Amino acid sequence: MNKLPLRDFSMVAALFAIIACFGAISPEFLGARNLSLFAIQIAITASLALGMLLVLLPGQIDLSVGSGVGLLGGLCAVLIFHHNIPAPLAFVITLAGALVIWLLMGALIAWQRVPAFIITLGGLLVFQGVFQLVIRNSTVPIQHGDVTNFVSALTTCYFPPIVSYGIFAAVSAVFVFSMWHRRGQRIRHGFEVEDWELFFLKAAVAVQALLLLVIVGNNYRGLPLSLAILGLLAVGIHLLTTQTPFGRYLYAIGGNREAAVVSGIPVNKVIISAYAILGLIVAMVGCLQTAYQGSSTATVGKQMELDAIAACVIGGTSLTGGKGNVLGVLIGALIIGTLINGMTLMGASEEAKFIVRGAVLALAVWMDVRLNRK
Amino acid sequence: MTDEPAILHVDRLTKRFPGVVALKEVTFDLREGEIHALCGENGAGKSTLIKCISGVWPHDSYEGAITVRGRPARFGNLADAKQAGIAVIYQELALVGGMTVAENIFLGNEPTRGGLIDWNKVYADTAALLKRYGLDLDPAALVHSLGIGQQQLVEIVKALSKDSKILLLDEPTAALTETEVEILLRIVKDLRRHGVTCIYISHKLDEVMAIADRITVLRDGSSIATLEARRTSKDEVIRNMVGRPITDLFPRHSRNPGEVILEVRNLSVKHPVEDRLVLEDISFFLRRGEVLGIGGLMGAGRTELLMHLYAATGERTAGKASFAGEPLCGNSPGESLARGLALVSEDRKRFGLILEKDIGFNLSLSSLGTLCSGGFIDANAEIKENRRFFEFLRVKAPSLEAPVGTLSGGNQQKVVIGKILMTSPQVVLLDEPTRGIDVGAKLEVYELINRLTADGKAVILVSSEMPELLGVSDRLLILSEGKVGGEFPDTHVTQTDLLKAAMAHC
Repeated sequence: MNKLPLRDFSMVAALFAIIACFGAISPEFLGARNLSLFAIQIAITASLALGMLLVLLPGQIDLSVGSGVGLLGGLCAVLIFHHNIPAPLAFVITLAGALVIWLLMGALIAWQRVPAFIITLGGLLVFQGVFQLVIRNSTVPIQHGDVTNFVSALTTCYFPPIVSYGIFAAVSAVFVFSMWHRRGQRIRHGFEVEDWELFFLKAAVAVQALLLLVIVGNNYRGLPLSLAILGLLAVGIHLLTTQTPFGRYLYAIGGNREAAVVSGIPVNKVIISAYAILGLIVAMVGCLQTAYQGSSTATVGKQMELDAIAACVIGGTSLTGGKGNVLGVLIGALIIGTLINGMTLMGASEEAKFIVRGAVLALAVWMDVRLNRK
Repeated sequence: MTDEPAILHVDRLTKRFPGVVALKEVTFDLREGEIHALCGENGAGKSTLIKCISGVWPHDSYEGAITVRGRPARFGNLADAKQAGIAVIYQELALVGGMTVAENIFLGNEPTRGGLIDWNKVYADTAALLKRYGLDLDPAALVHSLGIGQQQLVEIVKALSKDSKILLLDEPTAALTETEVEILLRIVKDLRRHGVTCIYISHKLDEVMAIADRITVLRDGSSIATLEARRTSKDEVIRNMVGRPITDLFPRHSRNPGEVILEVRNLSVKHPVEDRLVLEDISFFLRRGEVLGIGGLMGAGRTELLMHLYAATGERTAGKASFAGEPLCGNSPGESLARGLALVSEDRKRFGLILEKDIGFNLSLSSLGTLCSGGFIDANAEIKENRRFFEFLRVKAPSLEAPVGTLSGGNQQKVVIGKILMTSPQVVLLDEPTRGIDVGAKLEVYELINRLTADGKAVILVSSEMPELLGVSDRLLILSEGKVGGEFPDTHVTQTDLLKAAMAHC
């Protein structure tokens, strides 16, 4: 029981160390413009990682999400630019397409018992090929000229400062209230609770982090919409994994699949549903990433599956299943995202970025193994 | 015997876990060449003591001292203890199934010649070892082709091959058939001649009485007494274990069976992989408020029958089953549970529990559907329900939030039983519910069965222990090689009758 706080703490400490490092080396890292753009990148990486969490929990994996992001973003761009379909409709079609594909992959994995690694590796290659066909090896803009549409607004829309502060106030109030409510509930049922000091410390840190985020955002253009989307998604997945039977089943299947079957859990349905939700998130991230880059090109989504898996693993998600949570994944995504963003600002080469990402992943897992052993 | 020196001495050992004191000033000594049994209920501290002696818990994690041959032993890990000649044989075997007996025995310790493994020496030495301990095993046999009993013996020989002088046997017979138990006991007794000292842990008191020189009883983490096996009785040991005399091992209330709730006619079921029948032409019925005992030898199809009725495994090739008047041809365990048919599996670690999760998570796992409001789990309702079963079953644990994996066998079993009771079943299928749990916990299981039948529920009990089968059931069905070997309308039968029925089709 004492392991987790230590691990969370060390991750947060590592994150701050990385931020301090980059802040010292390149001053523009902490500049409002960079932080605002960085927030959008994080929103994209973290959203995909949250989706990945849903399939990692029951001990599955998805290697196809990177290619999927490219393909679905490309599909959306082609529908909007070449076929003049209204952006909201194009977005819905993209979601529906993703749902069908991921339901199919989930069914193959759960019912036919083909290992997820193989099915999704196949998906990676197939999507890559179909992606090239869809965009015909060209660059497809997500909008016509300068006309902002529903999809391109996903990454270009910002809430004005006053609205941002309003959101901040509402979110903080709900957050502190739910923490307080949960504490009261635990006391009523006679469970151990943390003392008030720690409670206030946690609440204060969380509220301050939110406030800092809003202030920084407001210094540039305001709170980015994509960050709000990530916020909603994070809360949604948190509730899904901790407060619903479906979430419990994910952990149970990852912990012991045979016991889950005998306990009467509809294991196959749960796994397929997890893939379906992941598919929807992939479609959304595909639109976000394509909108962020302005157009669909062959490189969109490349290797994003690796960042998503890395964010989960750095955040304490077990690849064998049964372990992991939303907060950890968010911190993991922040660590990965900060590294990439900081190094890009420093003008580091692509090669160096790959090497550092790999090293950090290995380091994080090694630390996890060390901490779990004691 | 009394003036023989202690080969191992444990002095006032105290081991604490967060929230629990697992061992309280345990003192215990082991004389060279003896077989010393450790007895105690689940959670009494036997496993913790073994873990301290074998170095799983490093010496700085407990208070007190362990001395081996008069010298203080400060083990930091398992390897240190092995170095000092202490080896543990666990219930869960640590053998590689796809390797031969000889390969396993010398695994990690292979003799080499010029950098390559000297296979001739491996097989010759293994043959010599097996001969020395009087074992009739082929060194070249693949381990997974052996029975569990023989595998256990391979494990023991493996430990002995590393010159272990103190063997810790943790429930070595829990999964063995009676013949295998006899062989194992003979060999353990024989080890004395070879200068090996044994600590023997078992819940089966008959075995302990037959084999041990001395018996140390642990209760609630304290060493209660050390008894000379020749001068004590089973009753005295039990009295020491539970702290009170157990007057009736099988408490039984008069039962009034009601209408038939489960009926099976001419049922045949196919093996999941191989092309043969595991069950052939089985017919029986079960009434509300009664216990049907199902007996038979290992592999007779008892587990397969329960798993099939519960819709977990096995494809039906012929026959019919009905449950509460409706046909029973379930598609999934979830459906069975929803209809009121629940199963407690014989293998709680594999089929019963999510070991890394806490007690609450496991208790409510099968009932989450009914604990929801508006799609979300109602935390208050869930905790209340969990607490109810936690207290009703008297699970010994610091709180509902303790990981199930840290509980003793009996308490884990209570969690599995609690999980299925929370689904309010009408028929409960119990597959070896008392395997590997102690006398006190067994008694609680029997009382629970009584309470279920008094409530008009029906119970099927599968057990390998004939006294239990006779003591708890109202009627008996004996399976033999997948067929019905015998049916007894009451329990006025002898164990010989049962054994004959079990061998009917062999």
